Amino acid sequence: MALLEVNDLRTHFRTDDGIVKAVDGVSFSVDKGKTLGIVGESGCGKSVTCLTIMGLNPSRNTISSGEALFKGENLLTMPKKQLRDIRGNDIAMIFQDPMTSLNPVHTIGRQLVEAIKLHRDVSSRNARARVLELLKAVGIPRAERRVDDYPHQFSGGMRQRVMIAMSLINDPDLLIADEPTTALDVTTQAQILELMNRLQSEFGSAIIIITHDLGVVAETADDVVVMYAARVVERAPVDNLFKRPHMPYTWGLLGSLPRLDADMERLTQIPGQPPSLLNPPRGCRFHPRCPYVMNVCKETEPELRPISDQPGHLQACHLDEQTKDREAAKLVALAETG
Amino acid sequence: MSEAGGMNGGSGNDLLVVEDLKKHFPVTRGILFQRQVASVKAVDGVSFTVKSGETLGVVGESGCGKSTMARCVMRLLDPTGGRITFEGRDITNLSRADMRPIRREMMMIFQDPYASLNGRKRVGFIVAEALEVHKMGTDAEIKRRVQELLEVVGLNPEHYNRFPHEFSGGQRQRIGVARALAVNPKLIVCDEPVSALDVSVQAQILNLLKDLQREFGLTYVFIAHDLNVVRHISDRVMVMYLGKVAEIADRNQVYTEPKHPYTGALLSAVPIPNPELGRQRKPIVLQGDVPSPLNPPAACNFHPRCPRFQEGHCDVEPPPLYSFGDGHRAACHYPLEHWPLSEEEMRRPSAAPQSAPPPAEPAEAPTSS
Amino acid sequence: MYRYLIRRLFWAGVMFIAVTIVSYIIFFLVPAEPARLICGAQCPPDQVERVRKEVGLDDPVYTQYLRFLGGLLPVGIHPVSAKTPSLGNSYATRQPVNEIIKEAAPVTASLVIGGAVLWMLVALPLGILSALRPRSLLDRAGMVFVLIGISAHPVWIGLLLIYFVGYKAGLTPLGGYCDMVNPSTDCGGPIDWAHALILPWITFAVLFAALYVRMIRANVLEAMNEDYVRTARAKGAPEWLVMRSHVLRNAMLPVVTMLGMDIGLALGGAVFTETVFGLPGLGKRALEALEGFDLPAVMGIVVFATVCVIVFNLIVDLLYAVIDPRIRLS
Repeated sequence: MALLEVNDLRTHFRTDDGIVKAVDGVSFSVDKGKTLGIVGESGCGKSVTCLTIMGLNPSRNTISSGEALFKGENLLTMPKKQLRDIRGNDIAMIFQDPMTSLNPVHTIGRQLVEAIKLHRDVSSRNARARVLELLKAVGIPRAERRVDDYPHQFSGGMRQRVMIAMSLINDPDLLIADEPTTALDVTTQAQILELMNRLQSEFGSAIIIITHDLGVVAETADDVVVMYAARVVERAPVDNLFKRPHMPYTWGLLGSLPRLDADMERLTQIPGQPPSLLNPPRGCRFHPRCPYVMNVCKETEPELRPISDQPGHLQACHLDEQTKDREAAKLVALAETG
Repeated sequence: MSEAGGMNGGSGNDLLVVEDLKKHFPVTRGILFQRQVASVKAVDGVSFTVKSGETLGVVGESGCGKSTMARCVMRLLDPTGGRITFEGRDITNLSRADMRPIRREMMMIFQDPYASLNGRKRVGFIVAEALEVHKMGTDAEIKRRVQELLEVVGLNPEHYNRFPHEFSGGQRQRIGVARALAVNPKLIVCDEPVSALDVSVQAQILNLLKDLQREFGLTYVFIAHDLNVVRHISDRVMVMYLGKVAEIADRNQVYTEPKHPYTGALLSAVPIPNPELGRQRKPIVLQGDVPSPLNPPAACNFHPRCPRFQEGHCDVEPPPLYSFGDGHRAACHYPLEHWPLSEEEMRRPSAAPQSAPPPAEPAEAPTSS
Repeated sequence: MYRYLIRRLFWAGVMFIAVTIVSYIIFFLVPAEPARLICGAQCPPDQVERVRKEVGLDDPVYTQYLRFLGGLLPVGIHPVSAKTPSLGNSYATRQPVNEIIKEAAPVTASLVIGGAVLWMLVALPLGILSALRPRSLLDRAGMVFVLIGISAHPVWIGLLLIYFVGYKAGLTPLGGYCDMVNPSTDCGGPIDWAHALILPWITFAVLFAALYVRMIRANVLEAMNEDYVRTARAKGAPEWLVMRSHVLRNAMLPVVTMLGMDIGLALGGAVFTETVFGLPGLGKRALEALEGFDLPAVMGIVVFATVCVIVFNLIVDLLYAVIDPRIRLS
């Protein structure tokens, strides 16, 4: 059984302009100890998906449906108290901006101790010992002295370490990291990604990493979900996704990426803008921007279905498989020959 | 494939020469009277040359001084020291009035397309502003020119009368580009122009910038923290660290034979969208954070984080910009022997330290009289 | 910290001098003859002249100002000796201004402090609850109250209250002040004191309550959208703990500043409320002194009000440093 299984998840926000379908039928699963990457551009619904799983959307104006089964229990329908016991204990979350994710008026020690005491009945002394242990594990120098410092006394990278320490403090089974390195410099990003890798092997948590950076996904994930306009358009093991991408949007993403490992005079650009989620296009949501668009794309929404010889590789596109294999091979060759 | 470096670089004449540029911000303290107690050396002795028609990429992490450097070059900030020569003319100390004709030769594109456009002005006005300031044509001519510009950057010329908030992020950056192009500048300084954009939109803007360069023979100074983007667009690349130049060279040299350990660390830290390749390589993870420019480390300012730090040398003697031929320069006593390096090789420099002073190259002599 | 304190005190001094100088200059620009007012309407001209000399009104303005400042010093100059700082004597009643203030300040303080307690008692729960349930019935009702409170004039509110609560229902006195500690002839003691002040408190508090409801609501709403509040929820913290430990503490930081400044300002005199209820506070006294061109009394109240504002600003700054660690360390 998968640790987390998300089926047909939908999150709709009521706004003054109408209903924004921020997540509209998303399914995926995460296995114990594995890393799932969710990629997509801003506004594709990747963050809202995870906030919905955690029950962190504002309750007013939000309508969620579908299911998110964590160890077989639906997080969306369980009583609030039970969900609170899971949050921060079995499922923990790290956010994008370490500068604003810690409360500025409390010491980091107090915020970490709070995270323990919410779920464990331990003495303050033991809680503090555990806090120090975690701060050392995430590489905060002179942890004994820094534990009583306030967030603003730490750099961005150090704050993200503190956030990671906080998320791991109760040994969660699942860690959701929402753009954990986007706000950081590249050398700091390398530090944090290495830390997450090391801690995953140490603590054995499963990780969902949400990012817009295909490089980060390639280096961290076992499986990848590509989202576009509130839906999953492709889902595959990481090697498959990069070697045999099967959806024109994924091609567009890969092609528009300037990269260190290949030379390209011109980047393949995806024309136009992502659609409004108030009123998404009929049929395939990518069809207005798709260079391979056919008549069927404008009418019928493609189902997410496996490639014939790869049951683990799902994609949602009407294009025939020969064409897709040919185009994917071209793209990959272009990237590799450079 | 791409020979962009050979195509543009080298042949042109020097459009912009920056010598030993310094910008120090004073830190003051005092009860009644403020006195200067220290200074933040945001830019501390940066020299480089940009040839006509080429793109110089500037990379570095936040706080390395790249944006301050750009603002000094644009004379939006007054440099503390050094010399800026544009088209053979020393513009370091020109007055406002004397700068005015030069301003239309050098324009700037900013990071945040939302914040850098006046939200209460129509797009036509924003693009036309520079034309009007420099009195370039009658009203009708200016209007025609603006519509032409909007078309050039891929916007609908009929959107002349719209406001910036009616456009998406990528379109707003196009407006920024049109505004910069309006007065036919020779040099455009781009300060993180695509950092706030999604990858697909980023590709649109990068392609646009490249097309415009080819069409109008523009020269770019392109500042970014993303090494992939800089590599894609640049002919030459300058790596900055804590207000100083760590390495400067042709694009391919920087990316295939980096000499400075910091460049090496940056390159190895960039995640590549290729899982197989990614598993083979191991990033050089630097320890700690970038130190404060208020109190930078002595001698080589990279030494506290450097994997090949040699005590008694790197922290005592500041490394000059040693030359490695072909205009490739790096400020390191123990430059990388080859690339990529294993972790072991990274930590133990095999060669003896560079000791000879850098041979003077007249075109890029860092000292000025 | 000490450095900061010294700097603040220095600027407070500068501000004090500036305020008093401006008051002096304005007073002397007004074409009136204080000496005639002191002497009385039927006074012969030579008598007026004598009074003018006596009070020192014939000296140049700066001499008068310096004399006034000299009076404030705790040390006399001719001869050098310790003395109590004095604000001079009233032109109208010859009473020492020190005493006028000593009598009036407790009245105003009773009004302002009681009013502040009242407005915070109303504004805190109303502001927080309407932030928790925006667009709810309570929130809408709160907004109506805010609109009324901001637009209604205190004199009007005061008169309504006096008519309905005091006169028609006879629940409270119609006006006047009762000393809390020293019972005077007709009323006194804490109970009478509070009884007489109920209506003034309400009148005085309505405007501020309205302003504070709006401010607290906005601050709480803003704080609830902070990333660290989401972090706290993600930790599994129950809603009451999220509110108490993460939302309210941060939302109250600006409220503390405003409260300190408003109280400091109001202690200089709540003119409208005091006038409507005939409370012998600083505001009413200041009004009387202005009408009578009683320069020493006006100056005394200006000095007192300025000191109140300065002191409360200082208290707010120090308090802020205690509750906000970001300020403390920089």
